[in-house]
Amino acid sequence: MSVVTTIAAACAPIPLDIREEHPGEVTLEARAADLPELADAVVNKLGGRLLSLFATDERDTRGRFAVHQVWSLAKLETFLRLVAGVDPAQPSFPSVAAKHPAANWFEREVMDYFGLVPVNHPNPEPVALHDDWPDGTWALRKDFDEHADVPRIGGDGRHPFRPVTGEGVFQVPVGPVHAGIIEPGHFRFGVAGEPVLYLQLRLFYVHKGTEKRFERLPWRHTLFLAESISGDTAVGHALAYSHAVERLARIEVPARAQSLRVLFLELERLYNHIADIGALATDVAFTVPASRAQTQREGLVRLYERLFGTRLLRSTIAFGGVKRDLTPEGRDHLRTHLRSLEQEFDSLITLLIDSGSFTDRVDTTGVLTNQAARDLGIVGMAARASGIDADLRRDHPHDAYTGLQFDIPVEDGGDVRARLMVRAREVEQSFRIAHQIVDRLPESPLRAAMPEALPPDAAALGWAEAWRGPCVHWVATDGRGRLARVKVTDPSFLNWPGLAQAVPGNIIPDFPVINKSFNLSYSGNDR
Amino acid sequence: MFKIIVDSFRSGIVTERRPFDAHAPFGFPVIDFTRCTMCGECASACPTGAIHIENRGGTQATLSLSYASCIQCRECVDACPERAVTGGSAVEIAAYSREQLTQSALFDVDASTGRCAFRQMELQPGAGLEASAARFRERIRGRLGRSLHVRQVDAGSCNGCELEIAATSNPLFDLERFGIHFVASPRHADVLLVTGPVTRNMEIALQRTYEATPDPRVVVAVGACGCSGGLFGEGTYAAVGAVDRVLSVDVYVPGCPPRPQAILNGLLVAMGLREARVRPDGT
Repeated sequence: MSVVTTIAAACAPIPLDIREEHPGEVTLEARAADLPELADAVVNKLGGRLLSLFATDERDTRGRFAVHQVWSLAKLETFLRLVAGVDPAQPSFPSVAAKHPAANWFEREVMDYFGLVPVNHPNPEPVALHDDWPDGTWALRKDFDEHADVPRIGGDGRHPFRPVTGEGVFQVPVGPVHAGIIEPGHFRFGVAGEPVLYLQLRLFYVHKGTEKRFERLPWRHTLFLAESISGDTAVGHALAYSHAVERLARIEVPARAQSLRVLFLELERLYNHIADIGALATDVAFTVPASRAQTQREGLVRLYERLFGTRLLRSTIAFGGVKRDLTPEGRDHLRTHLRSLEQEFDSLITLLIDSGSFTDRVDTTGVLTNQAARDLGIVGMAARASGIDADLRRDHPHDAYTGLQFDIPVEDGGDVRARLMVRAREVEQSFRIAHQIVDRLPESPLRAAMPEALPPDAAALGWAEAWRGPCVHWVATDGRGRLARVKVTDPSFLNWPGLAQAVPGNIIPDFPVINKSFNLSYSGNDR
Repeated sequence: MFKIIVDSFRSGIVTERRPFDAHAPFGFPVIDFTRCTMCGECASACPTGAIHIENRGGTQATLSLSYASCIQCRECVDACPERAVTGGSAVEIAAYSREQLTQSALFDVDASTGRCAFRQMELQPGAGLEASAARFRERIRGRLGRSLHVRQVDAGSCNGCELEIAATSNPLFDLERFGIHFVASPRHADVLLVTGPVTRNMEIALQRTYEATPDPRVVVAVGACGCSGGLFGEGTYAAVGAVDRVLSVDVYVPGCPPRPQAILNGLLVAMGLREARVRPDGT
């Protein structure tokens, strides 16, 4: 049975229009009213996991808005995009968030940027727009000017934090400017003494209008914008975005470029995981491993600069391939460096987990249970630390991953220790992948030629499993081949609610180490 | 415990004696204007408009390059058919104004053929650095020369600059040996190290952080976005733009992201210990 008929059978008897738009990507058009029932069918019968949800403004071409849900169907090795039109005269759509909480922030973001109201949403409050944004600032509608002057309204307290009451119970506000060198966001802790009763987040301080910006820049320049969605995931987002553009233009990436792309993605995973493991040691004041991890991370990024001229692997990915090659000499450097790093990293991990004072701080700290992670639709490394066995590199392989041997480490604990161990074991797998790439680098051109203009009225999905988790981009062009809509989903967007779930019950001094064990991106979330 | 101590002795000192004057495989682009024919390929390849061509009444035109908005992507180097654009190796670029990061060349345009010939430089990068340095030192009056307390403010960055700012305190760069410390509160700070683009949602928080910092407070803008708005532009509904649109900026450290040496250099400039330089070709 083909993928399309399997999906159609699971969704029967709901009327729908279904087609395989690209390999591994099925598009299903349905009535908005059927969305909740369809989402149930996708989850219950097909094992779907929500990876993105967004809207498009199609009023000038089709006289409608549309709401899109992107589901990963790992068993069928395909993505499913559910599309439903929304009448501009009645700008609302049925929410699926009550049953599928992964849709919660997505649907509220659609409300904030498109003015489409999710009906029956359990908490239909703004998520992205701060209190001083006037009503009706629907920035991603087509008739909203990117340079529009949006006045600040005195809206303090329009959307208050949940109150805490009780004897000895009070709130601790933190941020947006934090004490360390990290990104801005506001945390509101409700505490009784030291233990945290609950945690509320207010993010979107670094909303830069990135998705709108994509629609304004010439498409050839937009890859740099993708690299700046989250500076620590330059390769992940550049890859997901260029995959979408290449699928849309039906371009095949040459074999050598596919291998080098995998190498870049794994090298990005390496430096981030090692830096974060060191930061965990810093947060519990264990300075020796912290310094060692920082030294290992610096050694890596210096190697990247030597090999590719860039420390953080920017400007490595090109539309149609890669911009930087690995010379035979560079191959030897990389091999030698990774061999000695493997030993250093191994002794770093031994140092950490042999230390009782360290494990005492990370064991059973910040637990995200498997049930909570499933309910919230947590993705990536954090999901794998809570016993969810999902990884796009295996479930929806991209680039050269199909031909590589690697394991997907999964831990059941859901605590800081589990996230640390998933990272440590992923580092080992990245070494393994890097060696396979370096040993068998095929000969081919570095990039395929891209057309002058993108095909008109086309759309495609692109994805990559970056170090935090899946980066998912959806790109659509208008009738003249210009970018009409680029939806960017960073794994952090799905995982922030997981942090809010993992912190309560712990004490405030453990917050930094819990937060760092997830290390979610603010910029990727806020865009 | 004993093993940790022995291991630490064995690993020795990794801190570099002198972290400066590193030569990067690619720092910032350098244009040889005498070879330039003003074909405009570099300007249309540049994603941030750092390279800009302006027509002056048909007979003359200028080509300018602003390091404030350069994201070091190398597209201009690859695009130039005359090989007039090359990659400079110096990374420790800093300036006291956005203009000092700009250079501009004047070209004569032949009306019949449309051919362009280089006439002269109109604006040299780094013009007036000495005078600015003297003014800046006068302002801080030696008060920041021995130690510097830095409050970092991410006012909209993608986190790339933060990664490199954090790297300045790793054991190899070890900025604390210069008396520079990152502090938790603006009330303890001499310097605000600000990355951008300043977003609408961070503008007020940035202003309040500045107000909470005691005089003489120095502002260092870091990164292409902090210096110019970068890829995200200026004056959009979500991004105000460069840091100098909100605060008066004393030192600019361009780059996407600037390398740790460049950030360290910028902080030493903010202490008045070094003078800012804009020489991407490393001369």
